[in-house]
Amino acid sequence: MLIAGAAIFFYAPTDYLQGPVQRIFYLHVSSAIAAFGCFAVVLAGGVIYLRNESPAADRFARSGALVGVVFTTVTLVMGMLWAKTVWGAFWVWDARLTSTLVLWIIYAGYLLVRRLADPGRQAARFAAVVGIFGFIDVPVVHFSVTWWTTQHPGPVIINDALPPQMLATFLFTMACTVVLAAVMIAIRYQIETLVDEREQVFEPAKVLVAREPEPVQ
Amino acid sequence: MNPFRVALAVARKDLRSEWRTREVVPALAQFIILALLIGNFGFQVDSRNAASIAPGILWLALVFAGLVAFGRTFAAEREQASLEAMLMTPASPVAIFAGKAVAASLLLIVCEAVMLPALSLFFGTPFSADVVAAVLIATVGMAALGCLFAAMVARVRARELLLPLLTLPLWIPFIIAGGQAVQSAMGLPGSYSEAISLLIDFDILFLVLTSLAARFVLDE
Amino acid sequence: MSMLVADGLTHRFGSERALDNVDLVLDTGEHMAVLGDNGAGKTTLLRILATALRPTSGRLTIAGLDAFGERRRLRHYLGYVAHAPGLYPALSARENLEFFCDLQDVDRSRVDEALATVGLTSVSHRRAGELSRGMQQRLAIGRAILHDPRLLILDEPDASLGADAADLLAGLMHDRTTVLATHDHALANRLCPRTLVLRHGRSLGTATHLRVVR
Repeated sequence: MLIAGAAIFFYAPTDYLQGPVQRIFYLHVSSAIAAFGCFAVVLAGGVIYLRNESPAADRFARSGALVGVVFTTVTLVMGMLWAKTVWGAFWVWDARLTSTLVLWIIYAGYLLVRRLADPGRQAARFAAVVGIFGFIDVPVVHFSVTWWTTQHPGPVIINDALPPQMLATFLFTMACTVVLAAVMIAIRYQIETLVDEREQVFEPAKVLVAREPEPVQ
Repeated sequence: MNPFRVALAVARKDLRSEWRTREVVPALAQFIILALLIGNFGFQVDSRNAASIAPGILWLALVFAGLVAFGRTFAAEREQASLEAMLMTPASPVAIFAGKAVAASLLLIVCEAVMLPALSLFFGTPFSADVVAAVLIATVGMAALGCLFAAMVARVRARELLLPLLTLPLWIPFIIAGGQAVQSAMGLPGSYSEAISLLIDFDILFLVLTSLAARFVLDE
Repeated sequence: MSMLVADGLTHRFGSERALDNVDLVLDTGEHMAVLGDNGAGKTTLLRILATALRPTSGRLTIAGLDAFGERRRLRHYLGYVAHAPGLYPALSARENLEFFCDLQDVDRSRVDEALATVGLTSVSHRRAGELSRGMQQRLAIGRAILHDPRLLILDEPDASLGADAADLLAGLMHDRTTVLATHDHALANRLCPRTLVLRHGRSLGTATHLRVVR
């Protein structure tokens, strides 16, 4: 990541139109991609959990959600800083920002449901449902907002053209960020495994030899 | 027993209870009228901007009324432990869920029948079949989603906080398409037919998803 | 053949252990009482036996079938009276039972029989919310027998019933395997030859004709 940081500041040329602030772009978009990646983990974990109640799947989903919230928050904050500098407004209701905000809200809902439901099976089940609906909802929202803007045409604001040096930097940063996200998920997974063991909410069904209860006199 | 008959029995039971106690509909209707009044004063509506503001107020009122209506469907059952009694029968949980969702939608539709004429009356916007159709089609999908999360939230703490948080992100597509549909029906630019077909698509998508998810949310 | 075999039933609510490794075996036609103080885990155990709740770990077999894998099939076998009546207050007693007949997929003629068995025929038209606690309890019991279950699970059914509780329950239980949770030792002794005692979620074992000396 440090190398990526150096690359961002020294290697990539300054964007002609936007100035140095444009460099936020690398991290901002990488964060967004990492966040979506995490969301995919949450989805996969959720689906697998609902199919066969695997506690490991649920742990992955949990970890993915937490790391995802972090990256989504970073994406949103950076986006807002950049927007203020470049467009003069902190927020715009276009498709991307809206769906990223929705993503954040869904993650927040996911984590809250986990916390508030009965720990163990119920929390895992409910959260899995939230994760699955959320995953489908984000593209639907994106699509809806895009559709809405076709009904109400306005100025197009995001310009994605990139000269090759910037592209290289960007890809590298993205790779580093995704790796960072994966590492964070792995670390979180370990933590969650320890938490599960301590609280023992997911004991596998033990098959004991049936014993006759002892009589009490 | 045939799941349709189960759903019908459950819906009938809910509607009969509501008819006898009249708890939900009057409160919602009153809320909706108030929302319209506040909208009028808050937005300084006059004959020129009425058509552009009215759809927003409509959806605002509908969303909040919906949250209350669907939230109550499962909250009341929970308090009386009657949901568990229903789940203890051989009846399919999805059918039970469908019955409750249908009943809750009907209650909301009764309120819509109050709201839409009132909207026309207060804001001078046209009251057409197009508007009604848009609202009804959207209600179907919103009801399925609202009831699913209401069922989830009924068993969890802090339900008043959690229900809007979970439901609103899923209702956004309906509000966008529905808002557009109503705007078009009231004469503003935009395609009504596209909006309606989007609403129908959303309905189908979320009805399928909800019926698949219902058993995970209701059953232990 | 054993009607019910429970093996190592454990249930945790968060980090709290409501039930700890409870075993029990019930033969067809047996009546068993479950005794224990409040908080000992009676309701949790009964809910698990009624397949209303899945234990955190352990196995349950009812009528030879895996209780949680075959829950839908077992619904016909089981009649459960929960701690709370779970009735619809705005509906009459009769309407409540008719509704559950529909859900249970049994003929509505059973409603009259059930009402007669629990002695509520005279108030069948009254709204469930207006009935006394004892009558509501009876109605809940009536509901549990609509489908003529082979296995009855009763959670403190006597709590609000009057003096004739024992007779009513004896009549219900006589040809059905029963698990009955209660605080009333005398009732337990009278109705149930076997008793399981729970304490802090643990089974202290079962005994026949338990005598509690205080």
